[in-house]
Amino acid sequence: MRIVVLAKPVPDAGQERLRNDFRMDREATTEVINGNDEYALEAALKLVEASPDGGEVVLLAMAPDHAQETLRKGLALGAASAVLVTDPALEGSCALTTAHVLAAALRELSFDLVIAGVDTSDGGGGVVAAGVAALLGLPYLSYAARIEPSDGRVRVRRITPNGYEVLEAPMPALISATQALGAPRYPTLKGIMGARRKEIVIRTLADLDLAGARARGVEVGGAAATARVTGSRPRAPRGTPKVVQGSPAEAAQEVVTFLAERRLI
Amino acid sequence: MTEALARVPFWWLAIPVFWGSVALFALEVVRHLRVMGAVRPAAPFRDVPRRLGAVLRYAILQTRLFRDTRAGLMHYAIFAAFVLLSTGVASAGTGGLVEAIVAWPFGGAIWAFLLLARNVAAIAALAGLVYAMARRLVTRPARLTLSRSVVAILFLIGAIVAAELGALTFEAALYGPLPGAVITNAAGSLLVRSDRGLLLLLFGVTWWVHIACVCTFLIWLPLTKHFHVASSFFNVYLRKLEPRGALPAMDLEAEDATFGLKTLADLSWKDVLDGLSCTECGLCQDACPAYATGKPLNPKALIVGIRELTTEAELGLHLVPGPSIGHARVAEDDSPRPVVSGLPLVDHAISFDAVWDCVTCGACVEACPLLIEHVDKIVGIRRNLVLEESRFPAEITTAFRAMENQQNPWGQPASARLDWTRGLPFEVPVVRDLAKAGRLDEIEVLYWVGCAAAFDERNKRVARAFATCLHVAGVKFAVLGEEEACTGDPARRMGNEYVFQMLATRNIETFEKYGPPPIVTACPHCFNTLANEYPQFGGRYDVRHHTSYLASLLASGRLATRDPNAAEAGQAEARRVTLHDSCYLTRYNEIVDAPRDVLRSVGSIELAEMSAHGKQTHCCGAGGGRMWMEETRGTRINAARTHQVLATGAPTLATSCPFCMTMLRDGLADAGAGDKVSTLDVAEILAPVAISGRTAGSKSGELPVTRAER
Ligand code: SF4
Ligand code: SF4
Repeated sequence: MRIVVLAKPVPDAGQERLRNDFRMDREATTEVINGNDEYALEAALKLVEASPDGGEVVLLAMAPDHAQETLRKGLALGAASAVLVTDPALEGSCALTTAHVLAAALRELSFDLVIAGVDTSDGGGGVVAAGVAALLGLPYLSYAARIEPSDGRVRVRRITPNGYEVLEAPMPALISATQALGAPRYPTLKGIMGARRKEIVIRTLADLDLAGARARGVEVGGAAATARVTGSRPRAPRGTPKVVQGSPAEAAQEVVTFLAERRLI
Repeated sequence: MTEALARVPFWWLAIPVFWGSVALFALEVVRHLRVMGAVRPAAPFRDVPRRLGAVLRYAILQTRLFRDTRAGLMHYAIFAAFVLLSTGVASAGTGGLVEAIVAWPFGGAIWAFLLLARNVAAIAALAGLVYAMARRLVTRPARLTLSRSVVAILFLIGAIVAAELGALTFEAALYGPLPGAVITNAAGSLLVRSDRGLLLLLFGVTWWVHIACVCTFLIWLPLTKHFHVASSFFNVYLRKLEPRGALPAMDLEAEDATFGLKTLADLSWKDVLDGLSCTECGLCQDACPAYATGKPLNPKALIVGIRELTTEAELGLHLVPGPSIGHARVAEDDSPRPVVSGLPLVDHAISFDAVWDCVTCGACVEACPLLIEHVDKIVGIRRNLVLEESRFPAEITTAFRAMENQQNPWGQPASARLDWTRGLPFEVPVVRDLAKAGRLDEIEVLYWVGCAAAFDERNKRVARAFATCLHVAGVKFAVLGEEEACTGDPARRMGNEYVFQMLATRNIETFEKYGPPPIVTACPHCFNTLANEYPQFGGRYDVRHHTSYLASLLASGRLATRDPNAAEAGQAEARRVTLHDSCYLTRYNEIVDAPRDVLRSVGSIELAEMSAHGKQTHCCGAGGGRMWMEETRGTRINAARTHQVLATGAPTLATSCPFCMTMLRDGLADAGAGDKVSTLDVAEILAPVAISGRTAGSKSGELPVTRAER
C-alpha cells in the first residue's frame, strides 16, 4: 500500500501574525504540519503498518523552501520520503492554483490512496483536497472517521451532522481525514534522527506538467490569485470569565443555573 | 594455635570450614561483579575525601537510621555485634592467629577489651533482634517485608549471637574466667559445679554451632538483603556526588545506543550494586507520597525488582567462572542469562503506571540509608519510554508539543511573556533593549521569570510582587521577555531529553549572547535546572532563588520592612503563617533558612511549622511533570499536603514555588478551605511591607497588585 499524504506546513496555531498585506508573517512563527494533516498522516501510517504487503507513506507539500524543516517532522513520525513543490513564482497562490499544482505533482507519483486533512488551520478553505480529486478524476471520500481498504477497494466511514455514512470506492482514491481517525503519534528519537537522512525531493514549476491548468486559463502566483484577503480583524475579546467555586455539588448547581438562565440547557 | 583454641574439639576443622565459606562468599561476590561488568559503565570515583566522609556519616555512624531512634539503636547493636563477633570467628578461622596478634601488646589488654565488647554487644544485639522480630510480627510497619528468608536470617543471627554467649559461658565454667568477658564469666561461675562432661559437650556444641551459623550466614549473605552488610560501605562510598537535582547527562547523538533505561543491561553497574545492597528497610516506601496516596508506585519495589532481575540473570553464570565447571542448573555458556537481562524493566521491575506516578520529589532518595538514587532510575526508564517507544500518558503530548513549538508547556505565544508587567507603576527593563542601548553592564541581576509566572494568572501576581521588592530595594534588574524559553525542567523529568536539550541549548545561547549577570528566579524548578543542569551543557551561571536573594537584600540592609505595628494598629497581633517547603528548593538544593529568614523579617509573623518541613517536606504533587498529568490513581497528593497545612491552623500558607502555589491552592479549595487559608508566595508576604533600606522609614512598596489574594 502506497499512500501520499498532503501535509501542509502552517504557522503553529495561536501564533499567527499577519503582515500588512494580510498574508502570514512566516518569519515570526514556528511552523508545524497542519494539525488535520497530522491526523491524516497517522491514519496513513497505521494503514501501511497493518497492510500485509507493507508499503510506504510519502508526504507532498507546496510551500516555501524552508518548509523542508517542517516536513522533517512528518518524516520523523514515519513517512518514508517527501516531495516539496517550491518555487518563488508560487508565492501567494490561491486554492485553485494549489489544487492544480498538487494534482500535477501527484501525477508523477504512484499511490493507492491520497489522504489529506479536511482543512488547514491557516487558510481554512477546505477545498484543495476536493479540487485535487476532481482534477485527477479520483473518487473523493470526505470527512473520514475510519478507513478500511480491502481488495483494491476502500471503505470509509464519513461523519455527517446526524451520524455517519459508509462510502466505498475503488482505489486509488482521495480521502479527507477528520480527527476521529485517532491522535497522531509522538516521534521517537530514532525517528527524529532518521528523518535527517530521509529524502525530500524538491520540485519546481519547471519540473511539473501544468499544461492542463494553463489550458483552463489558470495561472500561478499571488498576482493571478482568484481570491485574495482584503481585510482582517481579530476577534473581539471574550467577556470576563466567571469562576465557579465551592464544593463540587454547589459548583455543579451553579453551572446548571448559569446555563439554564441562558437557555442553553 | 592458642591455648584457648586448643580446648575446642576438632578446632582445626574450623580452618577449612571457615576458608571454604569465605571462598564461596568470594565466588558469589565475583558473580555479582560479573553482572556489574556486563552492564553500562559508570565512574563514581572522584573526590575521595567527600566519599570517605559519607562512609563515616552514613555507613559507620548510620545517621539516617537514627532518625527513628529505636530502630537506629536496634540496628546499631546488631551492627556492632557483627563487627566485634567477627574477630572471634576470624581468630578461629586462622587457628588463633588473630588472637595471638591482638593479645600480644599490653599484656593482652586489647583482646580482653574486645571480649568485653563482644559480651556487651552480643547482649545488646539479642535485645535488638527481639525488637526487630517483634516489629515484624506485632507492630508490622508496612514498610518492612516479612518473608521466610527474613525470619530465617533473623534466627540465624540470633543463633550466632546466642551460641557465642553460650560457648564463652561454658568455656568460663570449664576453664575459669576469660579476661574481659565479664558477663559470660559471671554466667559461667554459676555453672562451675555442673557435670564436667556435660559442660564439655555443651561447649563443643555451642562453639561449633557458632562457627557453623557464621559460615552459613556468610554463604547466604550475597543472595539476600543482608548483602548490605558487605556492600553498604561500597555503595555509600560510590554515591552520586553530582548535585542531587542534576539528572544524568545523556548523549542524544549516540545513534546505536539504547536511550535511557530499557533493560538490566542499560543500568550502570552502580545501579545494579544499589539493587544488591538494598536492605528492604522500606524507608523510601514510607517517604513516598505517591505510595502513600495509594498509587502503584513503590520505590522500594523498583530497587528490589532490579535485584531480582540481577540474581535471575546470574543463574546463567557458573559459580566458578569458566566454561567447563559449574553445577547442573546453569546454562552452558557461562554468561548472564540474556533472556533475563533482555527483559524490559517496565513490567518486570516496575509497572508502566508506576513509572509515571513519580513526582520526582526525592523523598525516597533523602530517606534511603544506603544513598540509593531512585529518581535517576525512574527518569531513566521514562527516557527510554519517551525517546524509543513513544509510550507515555497521552495527556502529556500537549505539553511536549507546546514546549517544542512555543517553548513553554502552557502553549502560550512568546509575545505574552511580558503581560505580567502590565499595571506595574515602574518599568521592567528588557535585556535586549538595554543591550541595544549599550547599557548591558548596568544590570545587577537578571530576573528569570519562568513560564508559570509569565502565563499563569495567579503566579503573575507573584512576579509582580517580586519585581516590586527588587524595585523598592533599588536593584537594577532586567528580564529576557520574549527571548526567555522554558528551562526544559518538565520535559527532562518527563523523560523527553530531546526537547529538554533543545530548550537548554537555546537558553544557553541567549545567555551567552549577553554574558549574563547573576540570575535570580522565583521558581525552584527553573533554579534547579539553571544551576545544576545547565553546566552539563557548558552553561555555568551564578543562579539564586528569589528567597535567597530577598534574604540577602534584607541582610545587607538594601531592603527593610516597615514596622507593621507602627503603621497599622490593627496588624499588631502576630499573624500565624505556615511555610510549605518546595522539594526542588529545600530537599534538592538544601535552601531551608532563606524563606524563613524572609518571613521572620516581616515582624508580626509567627511561623507554625508542619511536621513534614525542611528536607523532610511533603511534595505538593506537581513535580516530575505531574503538573501536566491528571492524578487518576489513588487519592491526590495535594490533598494529603493540604491536610497537613490545615492541621497547623495557620490562616496563611507561604509558598516559594509557582507549582506548589497552584497545587496547594487547588488542594485548599477542594477541601473547602479556600477562603479560610490564603496562599501567598514569600515575596507576596514581603512586598506589602518592603521599604528601601537606604531610606528606611519612607515610602512603602505596597502596591495594589501585591495585596493578599486568596
Ligand atoms: S521521587 Fe517521590 S514520588 Fe518518586 S519514588 Fe521517590 S518518593 Fe516516590
Ligand atoms: S532502597 Fe534504600 S530506603 Fe528503599 S528499601 Fe532499599 S535500602 Fe531501604
